[in-house]
Amino acid sequence: MTFLDEIEACLPSLRRYAFALLRNRDAADDLVQDTLERALSRRHLWRGEGPLRAWLFRILLNRFRDDRRRGRASLTVVGVMVEPAVSGGQDERLDLREVHEAMGRLPADQRAALLLVGLEGMSLAEAARILELPEGTLASRLGRARAELRTMTGRSGPRGERKAAEP
Amino acid sequence: MPELDDAALLALRHGSAADKARLERMAEGDPALRERLAEWDRQDAALHALYDPVAEEPLPERLTAALARPAAPSPRMWRFAAMLAPLAVGIALGWGAAHWTGDGAGGADSLLASAIRAHDTYVVEVVHPVEVPASDEAHMTKWLSKRVGQQLAVPDLTANGFHLVGGRVLPDTRGAAALMMYEDDQGQRLTLYIAPEPRQPETALRFADKGPTRGVWWVEGDLGCAVVGDLPKDRLKAVATLAYDQLTGA
Repeated sequence: MTFLDEIEACLPSLRRYAFALLRNRDAADDLVQDTLERALSRRHLWRGEGPLRAWLFRILLNRFRDDRRRGRASLTVVGVMVEPAVSGGQDERLDLREVHEAMGRLPADQRAALLLVGLEGMSLAEAARILELPEGTLASRLGRARAELRTMTGRSGPRGERKAAEP
Repeated sequence: MPELDDAALLALRHGSAADKARLERMAEGDPALRERLAEWDRQDAALHALYDPVAEEPLPERLTAALARPAAPSPRMWRFAAMLAPLAVGIALGWGAAHWTGDGAGGADSLLASAIRAHDTYVVEVVHPVEVPASDEAHMTKWLSKRVGQQLAVPDLTANGFHLVGGRVLPDTRGAAALMMYEDDQGQRLTLYIAPEPRQPETALRFADKGPTRGVWWVEGDLGCAVVGDLPKDRLKAVATLAYDQLTGA
């Protein structure tokens, strides 16, 4: 696989991640395009150390932080269309719209962290390298994010005592 | 066993295979922990249900277009190309245009028609316009020469603003043909198509139009060459002349 092929193979997950992070289609593709252009212009700096995917995610997150610092991506959550993939969410499934809204209310650093492991399936070690955080710090951040999410999606009953829904 | 906090549990859950196995064993005798793990599973399942569809969409054009601009080739490579160019074969004059443009006996099999077909097929390819990239030019030259059956040169067209993207082998009615693709800084692409043309009289440069795609072609030795692109006639002729001069060692 050439460098470009490898980048192309990463694009679907970069787009998924960017959308989940920014919650706006155009802003997400702007961010991915920015990432892509930056990666291509810096390809001579990439020496094949570590997976290309991690390198791309690191660039994307750096761009994301820069944009936020400049106040460009102000994370407006307006009119995002979400088609729930399952209808009639039963007890074993969370309400998707609720989860989407809750994700939007998480602090951005928690959302960025949770999406790396929960959505992109990265290990704690891999995500910590991308976010340039100690693993312990990231684990705490994930703990807070998941607890917040649970609270906001109505699953905040005392730990472990929550029973299946009453009939 | 001391109770682990969420951070420690998550470190196991998103840790190594051994960490995950350990967590599973811990959960076996601990319903509260099982419920906590199940909640995290539900969260992840919800994230996938919400956002996976984005990953399944076709890539938007602006992203594939961004991928289509390879980095500029290094100057060293061009010196190599310039060294190779004089290896190409000689040329003489004279042929009937009808054969080439697909209007005459040659029909759709004519050299120019094949070249235009190849150009139209690959010019739109953003990710895989070529099989061997310009970065591997030495290998490409050897490979194309071997398949076409003659020593080929890769013309250096930078004087006209075009750098090599790479090359590929294509089937042609007369045998294996070579395609070399070039691109300028605006992303405008140009195809150089070289196919075996045994027992054909040699020609000077000839020009033909087919819609927006224009081509300049010639025969030299046992090879037919065509330069095809959606370029203004003058620019195409200039770049074809440059290719011709280098391929014929003029």
